[in-house]
Amino acid sequence: MSIRQKISSRLMHRLNVRFLVIGLLVNFTAQLFAHDQVPGQPQKGPIVIRGATIHRVDQPVIQRGEILFNEGKIIAVGEKVTVPPGAVEIMAEGQHVYPGLIESMTDLGLREIVAVEETDDRTEFGRENPNARAWVAVNPDSELIPVARAGGVLVAMTAPRGPWMRGQSAVLQLDGWTVDDMAILAPAGLFVDWSAVHSRDDDDQRRREERERKLKDFDKLILQTRLYQDERDALTEGFSTNVRLESLLPLINGKMPLIVHADLQSEIESAVTYAVSQGLSIVIYGGYDAEKCAALLKQHQVPVIIGSTYRLPMRRDDAYDAAYTLPSRLQKAGIHFAIGGPGAGGPGGAASARNLPYHAAVAVAFGLSEPDALRAVTLSAAEILQIDQQLGSLTPGKDATLLIVTGNLLETESNVIDAYIQGRQVDLGSRHKMLNQKYQKKYSQRQSR
Amino acid sequence: MVMLATPSLFSQTTIDTSPTVGLRDGRPSSFALSDAKVVIGPGSVIDRATVLVENGLIVAVGHDLEVPKGFDVIPCQGKWIYAGFIDAWSEQAVKYPQKSGAYWNQNIVPHRSVAELVPGADQANALRKQGFVARLVAPQGAIVKGRSSVFLLKDSGDQGALIRKNVWQHAQLTVPRNGPGERYPNSPMGATALLRQALYDAKWYDEALEVYRANPKTEKPEHNLALESLAKEIHEGWFLFDAPNERMALRAEQIAREFSIKIAIRGSGREYRDLDSIAALKRPLLIPVNFPEKPRVKSVQSLENLSLRELMHWDLAPTNPAKLAAAGVRFCLTTDGLDDVSKFLSQLRVAVKAGLDAEIALAAVTTVPAELLGLGDALGTIEEGKLANLVVLDGNLFSDETKVLECWVAGTRHHFESVGSPKKQDQWLGEWLVDLPTMTGARKTRIELRSENQDLVAEFSSVVEPGDLKKLPADDEKKRKRKPKKVSTGLNHLTFERDRIAGQIELTKLYPDAAPGITLLSIIGVDTPSNSQSNQATLFLQLPDGSSRSLSMKLITRDEVTTNQDNANSKPKEAQPEPKESKLTENDSLPEKKREQANKLVDTPLLKPFGAYGLDQPLNRHSLVMFRHATIWTCGEEGVLENADLLIGDGEIIAVGVGLEVPEDALVINLEGKHLTPGLIDCHSHMGTDGGVNESGQAVTSEVRIGDFLDNSDINIYRQLAGGLTVSNILHGSANPIGGQNQVIKLRWGGSMESLRMKEAPAGIKFALGENVKRSPTRYPNTRMGVEQIIGDQLLAAREYEAKWRRWRSGVREGLPPRRDLQLEALVEVQRGKRWVHCHSYRQDEIVAVLNVLEEFGVQIGTLQHILEGYKVADRLKKHGAMASAFSDWWAYKFEVFDAIPYNGAMMHDQGIVVSFNSDDRELGRHLNTEAAKATKYGGVPEEEALKFVTLNPAKQLRIDHVVGSLVPGKHADLTVWSGRPLSTLTRCEQTWIDGVKYFDIQVDQTLRLRDQKLKSQLVQKALQNSSPGSIAGGEASDVNEEDRWVRKDVYCAVHGGLRHETAVGQGEKK
Repeated sequence: MSIRQKISSRLMHRLNVRFLVIGLLVNFTAQLFAHDQVPGQPQKGPIVIRGATIHRVDQPVIQRGEILFNEGKIIAVGEKVTVPPGAVEIMAEGQHVYPGLIESMTDLGLREIVAVEETDDRTEFGRENPNARAWVAVNPDSELIPVARAGGVLVAMTAPRGPWMRGQSAVLQLDGWTVDDMAILAPAGLFVDWSAVHSRDDDDQRRREERERKLKDFDKLILQTRLYQDERDALTEGFSTNVRLESLLPLINGKMPLIVHADLQSEIESAVTYAVSQGLSIVIYGGYDAEKCAALLKQHQVPVIIGSTYRLPMRRDDAYDAAYTLPSRLQKAGIHFAIGGPGAGGPGGAASARNLPYHAAVAVAFGLSEPDALRAVTLSAAEILQIDQQLGSLTPGKDATLLIVTGNLLETESNVIDAYIQGRQVDLGSRHKMLNQKYQKKYSQRQSR
Repeated sequence: MVMLATPSLFSQTTIDTSPTVGLRDGRPSSFALSDAKVVIGPGSVIDRATVLVENGLIVAVGHDLEVPKGFDVIPCQGKWIYAGFIDAWSEQAVKYPQKSGAYWNQNIVPHRSVAELVPGADQANALRKQGFVARLVAPQGAIVKGRSSVFLLKDSGDQGALIRKNVWQHAQLTVPRNGPGERYPNSPMGATALLRQALYDAKWYDEALEVYRANPKTEKPEHNLALESLAKEIHEGWFLFDAPNERMALRAEQIAREFSIKIAIRGSGREYRDLDSIAALKRPLLIPVNFPEKPRVKSVQSLENLSLRELMHWDLAPTNPAKLAAAGVRFCLTTDGLDDVSKFLSQLRVAVKAGLDAEIALAAVTTVPAELLGLGDALGTIEEGKLANLVVLDGNLFSDETKVLECWVAGTRHHFESVGSPKKQDQWLGEWLVDLPTMTGARKTRIELRSENQDLVAEFSSVVEPGDLKKLPADDEKKRKRKPKKVSTGLNHLTFERDRIAGQIELTKLYPDAAPGITLLSIIGVDTPSNSQSNQATLFLQLPDGSSRSLSMKLITRDEVTTNQDNANSKPKEAQPEPKESKLTENDSLPEKKREQANKLVDTPLLKPFGAYGLDQPLNRHSLVMFRHATIWTCGEEGVLENADLLIGDGEIIAVGVGLEVPEDALVINLEGKHLTPGLIDCHSHMGTDGGVNESGQAVTSEVRIGDFLDNSDINIYRQLAGGLTVSNILHGSANPIGGQNQVIKLRWGGSMESLRMKEAPAGIKFALGENVKRSPTRYPNTRMGVEQIIGDQLLAAREYEAKWRRWRSGVREGLPPRRDLQLEALVEVQRGKRWVHCHSYRQDEIVAVLNVLEEFGVQIGTLQHILEGYKVADRLKKHGAMASAFSDWWAYKFEVFDAIPYNGAMMHDQGIVVSFNSDDRELGRHLNTEAAKATKYGGVPEEEALKFVTLNPAKQLRIDHVVGSLVPGKHADLTVWSGRPLSTLTRCEQTWIDGVKYFDIQVDQTLRLRDQKLKSQLVQKALQNSSPGSIAGGEASDVNEEDRWVRKDVYCAVHGGLRHETAVGQGEKK
């Protein structure tokens, strides 16, 4: 029995791990290959982290404190906690402890290499795919997952793409042998692109007509689903199942939110009023113009997942920093929001999920407070994804899903040096670290010759 | 200008050899138009004059003329007669010539002509109704398009209509619409390169023929009709270049100068934006009058995508002809761009109202085109001997009501005869309360929505709290008892959608202290009456000053679902503490007047570049500027200096150090707590160009130049300045093993296209390897093996080409002179060390292969770009002396970048290679400082060294480190001021200086925003007032979006497999 060693030797001396229990010995292996990251084994006994700055998120920061977790759950957090005998003690003097970051919208696991079609499972055929379920196509061995994890992203909502009704998303923790190990919430929501039922025609009349026509199609689908449910409940003879309508039942029953990709003011307005009039629960993703919809969003308590902050202004006249200041403007307007990272896109997307903390950091450079920025990638994200009972802050009772970082997580130079998901120590190795080590060897070999 | 036409051409007695069929039909062809006001030409009018017309010609004109016998007298009392107008622009599809004798590329068809064409008569009558008698017809499509001719606007379209053939050779600097797709050229840059090559080929053809004729034993040049006619026109002809915007006009001038050809320019109506430069060309112009129609401003939604640039253009476009005239430019006004030619006269009048002198306007459709087209003897004025081309109107041409009554084309008379409810929206009906903003605070306001005769009516009225009433003086008692006054929005502007009611209101009618002007509003609500939340709605206001509010409104009483008119007078029902109506104490018309005054004050400035964030005056440079007390990251030997000073003068760094003496006349900038670094440098970018980025039509396109298409109006220049960037390497895309020539620019926002060029930067060229270049299944190469071969083969070809020229120049004149080949010329420069190769590369094998090939030819590489597997072969790079410009952490977007790792930069750096991090992306280019920080994160490069990844190192790679890249005396004063540690994600750029001029300042940026918001809202207000007296632009003509003025598609080299989700509104599809 041994704790696997996944921390590169150069980081090892920075992390002073003392083991109070004999037998829990470390097996230091230097050999690392692709796919070598092994999911952590269940927590075997209590672990306490000592001497670190603890960012609880839901409570003020403890400058020098302790956090104790056992059986995958946080037991206690404070300046001093009572440590049961046999606990593994991690001395983290000068380091920072954070809850695992939550990337609230990504395509992680659904694609490997964007340009190689065969490795891309994001977009199902056709426009209407409410029954497409992201989690059944997530590859737990994707090389992109360890890379994201090494950047501190321990939880992610992964979602399909497509022109209109994209499919159902899932919230995953980024460690496990199978998707079953990883899934925290599935389905987490039905992801749709509102630009498909919108119109950008600049002629008022044409725009109204186009939009009404498209919305009527959506009305019809919802109505059909309600009728389908009635028929189904009545167990009518000759009842024929329909997987698309079947998959929409949780939506119309308010058990699954509609996650709407909408950036423009009129799109957001249209999506919110539509969802409310149909009694659907809704989350906005993108949210570029959300500040202009403040009263509406607050009135109906609609949260926003900001579709990344390192983003160009959408209109030529917009302020150069429009996307950078969006979080602070939403904060001032009193809108509930999370900051999403690079989302699903070209270079970026899942491959850049590790840059999530910097999407929060730029918001700080442009007006948001550091605690609010941190909250936007942890607790607020958990609340919006409805997993805050379990994740998002360092609170006793929640999952021991947390990070040890060399410094301020929002600063690029800081590195994650240890991480736990439900108390399981996470392998922080990755394809990148291994290739790094391999080729470092090339040059050291040449030097020694 | 040639003003020649053989007189016989104008005789309208057609000599016909065909026999008469049936009865002969001779009719009198002598007319006297008597007693008219005759405008002989611009500025010359004869009252009560007679015009005598015989055989299609004017035989006499004057006061009190005696009408000879046999003339049909047409009385014209009270009518005005002008010389018929000439439309100097129209185009028509013409067949492409046969293959034999053609140029190798079908876009070069100078020998094509419309002279043999029977022009369609479809538009003839519509044009005559506008007073036109003749028009130029140009061939459509291609790049060198062929020759145009002038035709009279006859009905039959027979050959007799042709009055001058082969007037101009037509050309454009871009690819035709519905162009060649994948074939060469498929970008504006490529089109321009092809045009230049064709012109050089024509010159060569001439010389070669001469040599051949002198010595028929030499090899014979191919018989080429295209080159033959092009050569002739270079010597003696005129070229007409299309210029779809002001930048294209200046680019055409470059070509004209390079080849010493005579050109005229087909303008765009945007010349006013760069008037001085355009006027300085001293070229004749064809100017359209397709002034943009009024922007759609009626609803909040339609404003969503409306740019300031669009509004400014709408406001200023009608002044374009007047401004050109004032600048002394000679121009014709044409129907170019009008979707309906029958709008021409009204648009012409718009131009005159906008300040164009009426005589110049007249000349622009008569004498100027007549002279330019070489028809001054026959057209343009009403004079003896000229064609009887006349327009008869019932008044002065430039009065709005004047109509064209008759139009005479070469003696043929053309006489013109005078010549839809919203559905019920129950859920909205009722009374709502909301707090409306005024300048003195929020006012409780009641909005009553009711249905009247199937129409929705919205009435706004103020609610006065009980306490307020007591404050009113006693003599206001009468007013107090007066029936409450309400303001209702005009039904014209009130519209429904299922989630909203949209409309317009003037809040000053309700509250004198509200913002004057028209407020756009939408009420956003949920359309389910049963919904418990439907007693709330959102009111979104777009206020006249451009600011906006998102407000909540509450339903206080719901209307029963009745739609009777009685409801119109319904009193407010219970609920609420019995709100009382206030009265409007001010005269209703007062705000109206204020509003009109406000509109007259809109004086749209000519911002440079045109649109938001443009400069209204040139930036000035202080002779001496002292930055004090900053943490200075010199990126030089001095390292990082705390509490240090930097002195700049005349655009250069004079001194840097601690405790410098402050010169007396220096402008002192205190930077306590701030950090100062060299201006950032991006070694790989594709912004600031409008020529298509990629010429992907061939595997080798070294003749193509990014520098031909710099776009000084690209907003990304400003956005990247705001990220501290000062220098950027604008590269051609990566579709070909040997791509186009790059251009290093300085981000001199507000300057000319030319001023963007960084003169100190040596020339360069893009090469590319791997997946992108081998993708096309129909073209060599398809493998990395082929890529290596084609690069070697081209370098060999260039070597042989150079040898051929060397022999020729040394006096060995055997055979034909060598032909100038722009493609190989660039590759000769590469081999002579005068042009640096910037090679897109990913995988280690291709990196080694390209270095091997280059070394074979003795070529030192400029940079390896992307170079994401550079870490695997850093020793090989070192051996060559190659420098590396990479992404910090991109990977997994293509198979060849699956081994890309973020440690790459640091590892190459550790092996002694000069490494930079670049953007290749308009967003990333805004924060290269935080990209540099990743060299610290992944691989532990010290901060000071990491900063050099985006300053000194890219300067070295672009061979400009002698002038930029570090804060060292003698270098350019290019610097960036940061709020904190430059590599920190929590820092932001506060100032950016180039050449000692402050191009970005975070505070100035705030004032620009306010300025633009104000200007935009004023223009929106102006557009909202249909009948505002000052409004000149009433045009209904269609116009093309700024971005779509010419065909291009920008393909960046790294972005594949899905668009990034930042895709902007109006710039292609979303997400």
